[in-house]
Amino acid sequence: MTTPKHIPFSEDTSAHKLMLPWSRAVEICWRNVLNRRGRFLLIFISIAVVVAFFVSTLAYQAVLAELRRSDEVPIRAALEQANLLTHDDAGDRNQRDRTIWLLTLSGMLCFVGVCNTMYMSVSERFREIGTLKCLGALDGFIIRLFLIESVFVGVVGSALGALAGVLLMLLQLVMLLEIEYISGIMLLRTLSVSVPAAIAGGTLLTVMAAIYPTRAAAKMKPVDAMRVEV
Amino acid sequence: MEERREIVHTQDVTKVYTMGSEEVHALRGITCTIYSGEYISIMGPSGSGKSTFFNMVGGLDKPSAGEVYIDEVDIAQLGVYELAWLRCRKIGYIFQTFNLIMVMNAIENVSLPMIFAGLSADEARDKAAELLGLVGLGDRLTHRPVEMSGGQQQRVAIARALANDPAIILADEPTGNLDLRTGREIIELLTAMKEERGVTIITATHDHKMLAASDRVIWVTDGQISRIQKREELDIRVGSIEGAEE
Repeated sequence: MTTPKHIPFSEDTSAHKLMLPWSRAVEICWRNVLNRRGRFLLIFISIAVVVAFFVSTLAYQAVLAELRRSDEVPIRAALEQANLLTHDDAGDRNQRDRTIWLLTLSGMLCFVGVCNTMYMSVSERFREIGTLKCLGALDGFIIRLFLIESVFVGVVGSALGALAGVLLMLLQLVMLLEIEYISGIMLLRTLSVSVPAAIAGGTLLTVMAAIYPTRAAAKMKPVDAMRVEV
Repeated sequence: MEERREIVHTQDVTKVYTMGSEEVHALRGITCTIYSGEYISIMGPSGSGKSTFFNMVGGLDKPSAGEVYIDEVDIAQLGVYELAWLRCRKIGYIFQTFNLIMVMNAIENVSLPMIFAGLSADEARDKAAELLGLVGLGDRLTHRPVEMSGGQQQRVAIARALANDPAIILADEPTGNLDLRTGREIIELLTAMKEERGVTIITATHDHKMLAASDRVIWVTDGQISRIQKREELDIRVGSIEGAEE
């Protein structure tokens, strides 16, 4: 027998396609999330905690900055009383540096945590991935499935975290100042920036954490994927 | 047998794994031909290279040297896409552990390969229902794998393997996790599929119940084919085989 250079898939070349429609992919992911509630709850929490921390810190600083800019005497008096009205530039900078350092550190910790959780979540399903590949799934299908999943997880987890963060921030403010000084409009203005930013950031983080294990899983040979015992 | 089409042909297939600094020769040159419509059992002790050989035949692994032709196509020449296409359309897989997708019910499991192959959701559902009827699960269409017995799950897996009318069904220890009676039923079902649909069935197995159903048995020992027996030869020698194995 000679080695055929061209692949003689003799019959219908038109039926040579492989596909996974987005609607089906979303459906499969949704089922996965429902079916693995416990695991996903864990992922939601691990993302939410970090986003909550970010939102509360950032929004708190933003609201405080707004208040400091205010010319109204009662507000200034209240800030003064709460010892929040610093005129000390060096102290301000010091404070800001510390916050940035804290945020960076927690961001890195969070990234490691989310990476770990996503890796677990993918590696638990190596056998399933191997099965899908045996049924004719392309690497792209696998990546698509896990990408949808991680976007969903990221958005939900971040949204939960943002909500918690806002509540935390309000609590912090209320403990320092009288509630009447904090106007709704001002809150809305600061939160309309920090909340979407946090959700976008949290989602991006989750997707980034999911990319590596997903790619590794998708590239596995089906035999290897199915041999993995978890 | 002579006029039948060659569906699988292996030529001097060898496979070498490197484990640390050691080279393990899993296969030491296997040449054999499997014809369309045959029921083949690959038998051999653990570590004989049986599974490796089986994976080669199924396009799940590539040989270190030598060629594997499936339907006259050298699978080493295939790209990622064509290999996936081959697995989707030409080969149906059945596993020892059933490997159904746990989050999907029976009909969705069977539909999946058809969705990949580009069928519409409705077409896939209809055909999946038909196939499930064929394997005797017409009343279990919306059951999830956890709600089914091992035998029923393996039937779903058989229906799924048949989804895209493959030329070959590869079954890796299909009765390994089943009791005697259920195992026999699965073998009967595979035999029926072979006879009614003309599918080539290739199994890797330890199960001696499988021998009686097989047209030929390929014995693999130490990475080589030690003998190939036809069913006629087997029947006479069953006693000695049972004794010889393990």
